[in-house]
Amino acid sequence: MKNNLILWLLFTPMISSVVVYVVGRFLAPNDTEKPNKTVWLCVAGIAATFVPFILSSINILNGKSVATTIGDITLAFDGISMLVSLTVLILGLAVILFSVDYMAAEHSEEKFYGLLMILITSIIGLSTSTDLFNIYIWFELMAVSTYSLVAFYRNRATSLEAGIKYLTQSAAGSIFIILGIAMIFGTTGKISMQDIPALIASSKRIMIAAGACFITGYGIKCAFVPMHFWLPDAHSQAPSGVSAMLSGIVIETGLIALLRSLSALNPAAASFGIIFLLIGALNMLIGNLGALRQSEVKRMFAFSSISHMGYIALGIGFFLTFQESTASADGVFFHIFNHAMMKGLAFLAAGAIVFNLKQAKGDHSPLMVKDLDGISQKYPWYALLLSIAVLALGGLPPLAGFISKWQIFAGGALSKNPWAMFLIVFAGINSVLSLGYYAPLVNRMYRHQPSQTVLAGISKCSATMLASLILLGIFVVLLGLFPMLISNYTGSASSALLNMFR
Amino acid sequence: MSYIIVICILGLLGIGFYCLLITRNLLKLVVALQVLVKGAMLAVLFAGCLVDNMEVAQSMALTIIVADTIVAVIGLAMAIQVRQITNTSNIRSISTLRK
Repeated sequence: MKNNLILWLLFTPMISSVVVYVVGRFLAPNDTEKPNKTVWLCVAGIAATFVPFILSSINILNGKSVATTIGDITLAFDGISMLVSLTVLILGLAVILFSVDYMAAEHSEEKFYGLLMILITSIIGLSTSTDLFNIYIWFELMAVSTYSLVAFYRNRATSLEAGIKYLTQSAAGSIFIILGIAMIFGTTGKISMQDIPALIASSKRIMIAAGACFITGYGIKCAFVPMHFWLPDAHSQAPSGVSAMLSGIVIETGLIALLRSLSALNPAAASFGIIFLLIGALNMLIGNLGALRQSEVKRMFAFSSISHMGYIALGIGFFLTFQESTASADGVFFHIFNHAMMKGLAFLAAGAIVFNLKQAKGDHSPLMVKDLDGISQKYPWYALLLSIAVLALGGLPPLAGFISKWQIFAGGALSKNPWAMFLIVFAGINSVLSLGYYAPLVNRMYRHQPSQTVLAGISKCSATMLASLILLGIFVVLLGLFPMLISNYTGSASSALLNMFR
Repeated sequence: MSYIIVICILGLLGIGFYCLLITRNLLKLVVALQVLVKGAMLAVLFAGCLVDNMEVAQSMALTIIVADTIVAVIGLAMAIQVRQITNTSNIRSISTLRK
């Protein structure tokens, strides 16, 4: 029973993706304005995936291991898998509920839901992999599903442009990953991450070269500066639900894949830690400066994701360089979960607004910052939830973003290293800088007179859209007030990270 | 013999990256990615040769071929769609997003 849990965790969404697509073809409504009923199969698929997830989590929280072997391939469910799976399942559920009405008028809705379920499967699969090549395979599956989702509006040139940029850069990144695997395999003859560290310890140059290949390859997916150029285009042009998934979990999964792969090069961990610190600082600065000059809301959020990857990379850098305690790693995993909820909420709230103002009337132009003028008067719930999301992203107490950022900084401060202190101050300044583009959004929503676009928007709010926003909003508020609610999960994840780099 | 293989790997990677950087044609972009993957795949096979573990190397190479083919198919599908919309395969014709 226990060994089959991982298989159920993977097979349930995988089978759901096929069922959703096939049944969706038959259930496609003649009236293209109505949602395809297959979406409810998708919700059932996510609900069913929660069952093996909860059973696996109970085992992990009780200190038992959950692993299975298929041929030579071992899949293991650890603290990191648990946190990643929880994040992707909650965010996936919210995105699917949101998309019921949002995607209703789109051609081939069933493909959207099928691809979304494949994306969820690949993220869970990646988090349970224990060898370098399997990580790459799950990573490619995730990439392939996201290429199609980014370019889902295939009759729009901007959507295709974003898809092509994303595909080209991500595929070029995959080449570096394969080269890194080839270097390690050619030196040790192994691809299992547990076997490699002892065999590769004497080959310092190979470790550095392979590590550089992994950081470049996976770094493209994580949007590490200067490999981030695909992200603002892809996130702004994809359907809002896909933007939420990309920003909330896909880029973070790239980081998990990178960490798992670097754990095979454990003896050089401290060197990689310094690279993470540099990348973290660059990401925060470039992301925030990029976001400040945006007039398009989703593009602004995309740049904000680059800066949030900076905070996460900074926390990983503190952990790998100093390894004084797991406090910064705790903060990193807490921020990964929080960022998924906050950025998911921000993208979905922006999507709900663009749906009411434009999309429902056949206008596919992007949501501009000026379109938000006075929106609280006509859509108070959307305005409230978008405000909660952006203020949490800006790190305002008592919302979730503040606590996780604080935890990362506090973890770094434990090292008492002057460079760490400098980086903490730098990150703090960046967090304040981010309010420079978040606060005006709230100001426009609440203090400006409604624009013509707002007045002309449709009044009826979708119940499923609102439900998905409220679901994420609850997490953002609750985790800010009671961060200990998720400490079991973040604690297990940071322990798993410590084991990987011990 | 090893030197020849290493030169082939580096040659394929060099040609692939060079093409990726200079080409403005979407179809040629996909071809450049294919050349790159072939170089990386040869590296995996060469690594298997070095450690005398060709079974694992071959199975990895075959899996990479499958993954790479899917990426190429999606890339080509997007390229065709761009051509249908804009009547050209020139990447500049759809380059409007950078701000």
